[in-house]
Amino acid sequence: MSAVLASADGPLPFDPHGPGIEFCDASVGYSARTVLAGVTLDIAHGDLVGLVGPNGAGKSTLLRCLTGGSDLLGGSARVAGIPVGELSARDRARLIGVLPQTPPTVFAFTAEEYVALGRHPHLAALERHSPADEAIVLRVMGQTDTARLAGQRVDTLSGGDLQRLTLAQALAQEPSILLLDEPVSQLDLNHRLQVLDLVRDLADSGLAVLGVFHDLDLAARYSDTLAVVHDGGLGVTGTPAEVLTPDLVRKVFAVRAVVAPDVVTGSVSVIPVLREAATEGPSKGSVLVVGGSGAAAPLMRRLALAGYTVRAAALNRGDVDQAVAETLGIEYAVLPPFGEITPDAEERVRELASSSDAVLVAEVPFGRANLGNLRVAVSAARPLVFVNGFNESRDYCEGQAIALVREAMHRGAHTATFEAALDAIGSVIDRRL
Amino acid sequence: MALRTPSPVSPVPVRARVPIPVALVVLAAMLGLAVVAGVGFGAVRVSLAEVFAALGRALSGAGGPTSDAVIIDIRLPRVLLAALVGASLATAGVLYQALFRNPLADPYILGVSSGAGLGAIGVIVATSSATALRYFGVPAGAFLGAILTIVLVVKLASWRGRLEITSLLLAGVAISYTLAALTSFVMVFSRESMLAIVFWMMGGLTDASWQYVGVVAVMLAFGLVLPLTSTRALNVMLLGDERASQLGVDVERFKRLVLAAASLLTAGAVAVSGLIGFIGLMTPHAVRLALGPDHRALVPASVLVGAIIMVAADLAARTVLAPVEIPVGIVTALTGGPFFVWLLVRGSRSL
Repeated sequence: MSAVLASADGPLPFDPHGPGIEFCDASVGYSARTVLAGVTLDIAHGDLVGLVGPNGAGKSTLLRCLTGGSDLLGGSARVAGIPVGELSARDRARLIGVLPQTPPTVFAFTAEEYVALGRHPHLAALERHSPADEAIVLRVMGQTDTARLAGQRVDTLSGGDLQRLTLAQALAQEPSILLLDEPVSQLDLNHRLQVLDLVRDLADSGLAVLGVFHDLDLAARYSDTLAVVHDGGLGVTGTPAEVLTPDLVRKVFAVRAVVAPDVVTGSVSVIPVLREAATEGPSKGSVLVVGGSGAAAPLMRRLALAGYTVRAAALNRGDVDQAVAETLGIEYAVLPPFGEITPDAEERVRELASSSDAVLVAEVPFGRANLGNLRVAVSAARPLVFVNGFNESRDYCEGQAIALVREAMHRGAHTATFEAALDAIGSVIDRRL
Repeated sequence: MALRTPSPVSPVPVRARVPIPVALVVLAAMLGLAVVAGVGFGAVRVSLAEVFAALGRALSGAGGPTSDAVIIDIRLPRVLLAALVGASLATAGVLYQALFRNPLADPYILGVSSGAGLGAIGVIVATSSATALRYFGVPAGAFLGAILTIVLVVKLASWRGRLEITSLLLAGVAISYTLAALTSFVMVFSRESMLAIVFWMMGGLTDASWQYVGVVAVMLAFGLVLPLTSTRALNVMLLGDERASQLGVDVERFKRLVLAAASLLTAGAVAVSGLIGFIGLMTPHAVRLALGPDHRALVPASVLVGAIIMVAADLAARTVLAPVEIPVGIVTALTGGPFFVWLLVRGSRSL
């Protein structure tokens, strides 16, 4: 009897050069309802692939079909070269470890007992934990920083501790494939990095890792490949920098975002600006914003959110305000990086000003490079609002800016604090209309 | 790879648990004491020495005084039957609670006892002239009734593959009432069996005999195979169906086996003792409070504790109002009902 049990217990062949996870034209869903169709994706050993996409797009459904939590309705899904439908629950659990989205309901097990449940697929019916099993439990608890919780009851622990214990439980299965459904959703900043560093190490040591991420920055930072799930299928797949473009974020998440280099890792970072839907509706009027160096970005965003048609004066490529203007999809005049305003650009700004209902000058310094913007703003014969007024410390062109502002004030320009700028624009536009 | 983290070490104390072997030895000794007390006390009091003397005479085949008949043919089978019924119901409770992950599940509340009851009554009525058939027919009918009931209750309570515990309990109660009505209906149309059925339904061990002891012992033995050999899988099942599947349990197959075993255990108990409630509810819960949720301790300890509670309840039923004997189901319901309410009030999530 023991010989039979032992033979059922031998390790499954794990070939680090063999196939990891292979979806081929797979359709997944629940009984008759197809959630995703036509999914083709390979996750090799050593790879960490991140699935990103909006809520309800089917990312979890795709993961769950590998462990029987959802149904494979067409095509094929294989792990280690074996079609998932042909694996017994036990063999599957020796190949695949899962960190589910919500940790399971827990009972009064101690943390150590809870993690040790991960050894279940390796043990025969009446077999007890061997010293080797206990060593594995200790090791994975060390890896997940949960060793100090060993004797505590899991039903008294925080969500974050439970999430890390559940990861430890999955690692105790000694899987060659790891599926993570929002692995860091419950974790604090320190533990997020810790768990993802660990997951990265595991991938580097030869595991095939497929994870669902909502945090695009962390997904970009840790994944070799990102795959976008939306519209009932798999969209773009590629390196984080290839996948995470402003256009994609807009198309998939309906959010306008600035995609900037991640200064720490050299990866990319997604900075959301506003929701697409937030700018819908009839325009309350149009406003030309004079800015640069980030002084105008928050104003442009707030004006767009408040329902105005926003335009911007000349901005240098690479400038923060230029990135935001580009993201918002507004009209503006573009200058080369660090370049001075040209007569052409000034003419373009003049056109934009003359078709606007008001002009807003952000708290930006003026020098020779951008004095043209101020010149247009003052001479455009449009209601004009200066944010936080103007003083000499912002004049870097021998008093020319000061003179222009004086002239504008003389003609009845307004000043407003940053907070009151929107109200001021509102009132000048109402008066004009 | 383990990193130092800034989070403080939580001071939540670990609940001290009794070591499992110690607990089992103590419980076995307590069961021995309960059995001796159960045999000794009653309408006629018998001393410990007389009990063992009678046992010795019976085993050696030597003739003895007529008081031996009271001990060997009446008291002893009755006490053993109580122990076997208690152990069966408690184990069924453990299995249902693990499967539904809720301490409120037990064969009585889920309607399985009523289903087993109706199956048993059907056989009693159908075989009213052939008593010999009953020793096998009644347990078989009870088993069939139990299986059909639990399958129906689970089907009624499941919606899109999800099993809500509230729906499960409501479905159990609703099915219980329906089955009770059917039982009354059967009784009305078979007046000659009515009295026997009424007494049987209230839950009693008055009909105890060695034949019954044999039948229940066999059913308990079969019913215990799965829970005793699958303790770790039962632990994993506590984490939910999907997680259990991820950890290597063939969930659908295992569920069917667990339901079959629990139904067998319930049927054995119901067939010989009628509807005895709350043993399956109270026992696992009390054991879990003392020993924790690990089925490696929970299963054997519940077998022993269920037996102890049942022997004690039967002793109380026989002696409290002696010479009047209360059906033992009334004793367990009087203590179990309030316990159930306490569990409900305390919240059903703290298994």
